[in-house]
Amino acid sequence: MKRALILALVLVMSVLAVLPGGPAAPAEARQTQVLEIYITGLTEDTMNWFNDVAFPAFEAANPGVDCEIITGGWGDFDVTVAGWITTGDGPDIIYLGSEYAATYGDLLMDLDPYFQDWEDWGQYLPAAIDTVTYDGHVRGLPLLMSPRPIFYRADLMQGDVPLTFADALEFYAANTVLEAGAAKQWAFMDIGNDLFDAQEFIAYIWSAGGELYYEDGTSAFDSEPVAEAMQYMYDRRRIMRPTEDTAGLPPIEGTALESGIVISGIFPMWAVPPTSDPIWDNVAIAPYPAGANGSPLIQVFIDWLSVPAYVDDPALAVEFLKFIGSNENAVALKDVAGFTPTRQDAWDAIKASDPVWSKLLDLAVDYGRAFSDIRASAELRPLIFEQMTLFLTDQQSLETTQMLLKEEYDYILEENGYLD
Amino acid sequence: MASEARFHNLEWALYTVIFIVISSVLLGALARLVARLFRLSGAEQRKIFWGFTFAGPWIIGFFIFVLGPALASLYYSFTDYQLGQSIEWIGLDNYRALLLGEGRQGRMFNTSMLNSFYYALLGVPLQITAALAMAMLLNNELPGIRAFRMIFYMPVILAGGPAILLAWRYMLASNGGFVNEAMRKLGDLFFVFDYLYRLFIYGTEAFNGFYIGIMRGDPLGPWKYTLPALLAGLLLFALIRGEWSEGKRVLAWRGATIIGIAVAFRLMSKGLMAQPIDPAWIYAGGAAALAGIILLAHERRGLARLIQVVTALAALAVGALVLDRAGFDVASRESVRYLVPLGLVATALGFSAVGPWTRRKSAVLWAVVGAFGLIALARHAPGEMGGDRLEVVARYLTFGSTIETKTDLDYLQTAFPEWLMSATWFYGLAVAVLAGIALLGDRWPRARRALSIGAAAFFGLMAIGSFLDGRAYFGAFVDLAEATGKTNYHFAMFHQALNQFPDRTRVPLWMNSELWSKPALILITMWSSGTGMLIFLAALKSVPRALYEAAEVDGANTLQRFLKITLPMISPAMFYNIVIGVIAALQTFEIIYMLQTPLTRDSLSSAAFLLYARTFSELRIGEGAAMSWILVVIILTLTALQFRYSRSWVHYEA
Repeated sequence: MKRALILALVLVMSVLAVLPGGPAAPAEARQTQVLEIYITGLTEDTMNWFNDVAFPAFEAANPGVDCEIITGGWGDFDVTVAGWITTGDGPDIIYLGSEYAATYGDLLMDLDPYFQDWEDWGQYLPAAIDTVTYDGHVRGLPLLMSPRPIFYRADLMQGDVPLTFADALEFYAANTVLEAGAAKQWAFMDIGNDLFDAQEFIAYIWSAGGELYYEDGTSAFDSEPVAEAMQYMYDRRRIMRPTEDTAGLPPIEGTALESGIVISGIFPMWAVPPTSDPIWDNVAIAPYPAGANGSPLIQVFIDWLSVPAYVDDPALAVEFLKFIGSNENAVALKDVAGFTPTRQDAWDAIKASDPVWSKLLDLAVDYGRAFSDIRASAELRPLIFEQMTLFLTDQQSLETTQMLLKEEYDYILEENGYLD
Repeated sequence: MASEARFHNLEWALYTVIFIVISSVLLGALARLVARLFRLSGAEQRKIFWGFTFAGPWIIGFFIFVLGPALASLYYSFTDYQLGQSIEWIGLDNYRALLLGEGRQGRMFNTSMLNSFYYALLGVPLQITAALAMAMLLNNELPGIRAFRMIFYMPVILAGGPAILLAWRYMLASNGGFVNEAMRKLGDLFFVFDYLYRLFIYGTEAFNGFYIGIMRGDPLGPWKYTLPALLAGLLLFALIRGEWSEGKRVLAWRGATIIGIAVAFRLMSKGLMAQPIDPAWIYAGGAAALAGIILLAHERRGLARLIQVVTALAALAVGALVLDRAGFDVASRESVRYLVPLGLVATALGFSAVGPWTRRKSAVLWAVVGAFGLIALARHAPGEMGGDRLEVVARYLTFGSTIETKTDLDYLQTAFPEWLMSATWFYGLAVAVLAGIALLGDRWPRARRALSIGAAAFFGLMAIGSFLDGRAYFGAFVDLAEATGKTNYHFAMFHQALNQFPDRTRVPLWMNSELWSKPALILITMWSSGTGMLIFLAALKSVPRALYEAAEVDGANTLQRFLKITLPMISPAMFYNIVIGVIAALQTFEIIYMLQTPLTRDSLSSAAFLLYARTFSELRIGEGAAMSWILVVIILTLTALQFRYSRSWVHYEA
């Protein structure tokens, strides 16, 4: 026993002896304040830009501050970020997707006091500011935007770009070609290639004049605009898939927009040809069609940088947000990372050089609605998948689907503390 | 900056090493202290000290990384832990919601479990068949056979990879995909193949459409009796045919046990999870525990003792809960309702535990079991069989119908299914009959034969009667929809599939339809069954040639040699592949994660996938923990059953 204790003691002493000189580190190193910034899915070029250009400039302006960038994949995004924010131990600045303000709410710092006197704040797109606002208080800085309109192959389509549900259904009927129980040409393709997507469903609810919530905070899935949006999606499906055993389009090599067998669709910008491609001369860009009492719109997805409530020095974190959100850095990030700026004064150069983006940004201003304030979004998405699948595949009536969506989403909202 | 981070990591690594060393030494010291308390010699104490010190890193790792998290997850399963919110103890609520299918989470769990069972019951046999077929092909000594073995095994390495799964997406594309195009070409060349292919599409869609209806919880109506009646009828028919033998007694017991366990699991989830617990369940639980003790007392005393202890602890726990709810008022009406059955169960348990085991004791306890069973039955039977519900049996025995009206959708959809008594009674009856036949055995052959024939006739007629009435029930929905011009949502996919025989243009919509998503997944798992193939190949190589030669001399043909020599000789490998295959099927995850679309997500979701989604996407930690423990119990039960029943067909010696 004695020998064992001596052995353990010797081990401890030897380990302590070889420890790097933490305690003996220079005084200035001890005073260094590390600012950790997490941004999802960064490329090597963007990482290099942060490390070689942005950070040295910020560190020079803020002596004693050491910036570190952390990146990760989308696959574990929810778990990683939720772990940091809810345990109160993580980076000082966290990148969030469009719908997350409502998810983390008060776990994110109220930044109103820091931004109210910032003269640049007025340059930000109102839809972007809505996205980063929770309970009337700003929770972060909009970093990039992704407007998601409908693209039309003007050279192939029959008829005009539709702006109402009724016109859209006529358009789809005129531009869809079916042969031998399979699709030969589809008038429309959505982002998931399955003629159904949860985000798109929400967009049609809005464009039908509806909302996801009533004023008392309960779900509005039982409302008339929701029924109209559902019926529109069902009718569209039946035009392109008259029966559920109709085969879809063959696999498309390259982008759907170039394929010639898709006449219109909702595609993210990374799934379309570069805006310098000549095909854009034949592409029309338009908002989503609207219901009888609604108006056309374009969904705008805003990714933003938040400051969690646990951060010890929010002033420094906000200082970095203002730095990275400056006009100069917004333009630089567009060039390096392809981040479309959310501040309008950074658009001038883009508009001058790129007519496609010019059109997109104008449409975003005229029709843009941010994909934000989606409460308990992680649980809403699978609920929409489940119920809409049953409705669209003739397994459940519209009324039952609406009732179940309403009942179960209200339950989820209550469970998550959104309802009293 | 980077070097600072490296030093930081090194620092932590060193602290970890110090922690492990000190903890291991302390563990050794503790073990030595215990050894000293047991008055072991100095040499033995030293041995124990060093033994535990060197095993320390593993033991500490086990406590920190395995046991600790496992216990934490067990604790969380009884809470409403949601990341970011305070944790509250909610008792059995998570388990109740999941097992009873309450709310959306319960419904999703039911769906995922049914998907998992689909993968296990259909996917595993197909995977094993593919693996065995490949192994037999590769067991031939041909030039370049090693290269073929590598090629056949390669999918195992590649199968989970995103690129390969993406390739499968392309291959299984409904329009222009390789699989469908190849099948169509073959159909064009051979008309018989074309017909068989369309028959395959028809059958697969009808089967999956029916399965989807069950997963959705659409009422089966009279068809819910058809399966238990058919199952019992077939078993009884097998028992009646030919001479009575020990094998048949075992078959009867086995049938009774397996169906009994399934019934018990269902009753437990329905009954014991109900709130408040019906006192009848205390009698039922006591009867089941006592029956186990009696059956095991002679041969496996240790296990019988364990049941006694567990039952006593359970009785104490229920008693404490009852008193807690009644404010510790022993005389309250509510307390008495529970304390009387608890007292009776405790008395019977005490009687079983004290003194030597005798035949008289067995007889007395069997009587108690019967009494408890009757009490439990008496409490539930009137509710279940009250009114005209028992008429169901009479009508089915004469092929009559129980449906009152076929023109009222609410009646068909809700009132009629609720009126029908639970199918559990028929499963229970089958258990009782099979157990009775096994017990009567050789001693009372006439009684056994009379019971077998009577019960076989009863269950046979029930199966036919309920099937006919079920057809009328399903048809009523179709007729009603046609008459009113509305869509039929009852077993909608089943009816859509049955609607018409596929024409020549029809193809499987592998990735775009709920009807085909599960078969697509099974197809991919079959393609990657190389691990099973390797194990079969090793087993095939160890079968002595002499056995085949002797069989050939005796005139056995290829099929006979396969059935009588190959299969028994490779049975340990088969058993291993089945156990591992079933566990893997219940934990299917990666393929679903990669192949799901919004429309096929729920039809693919396995229990493991749902567990991931609820825990890590929707951040419901408590519910996810409960799911994982239910999954653990199911996997352990299935594995134990497979081990228990492997003795009769797995041969470990040549």
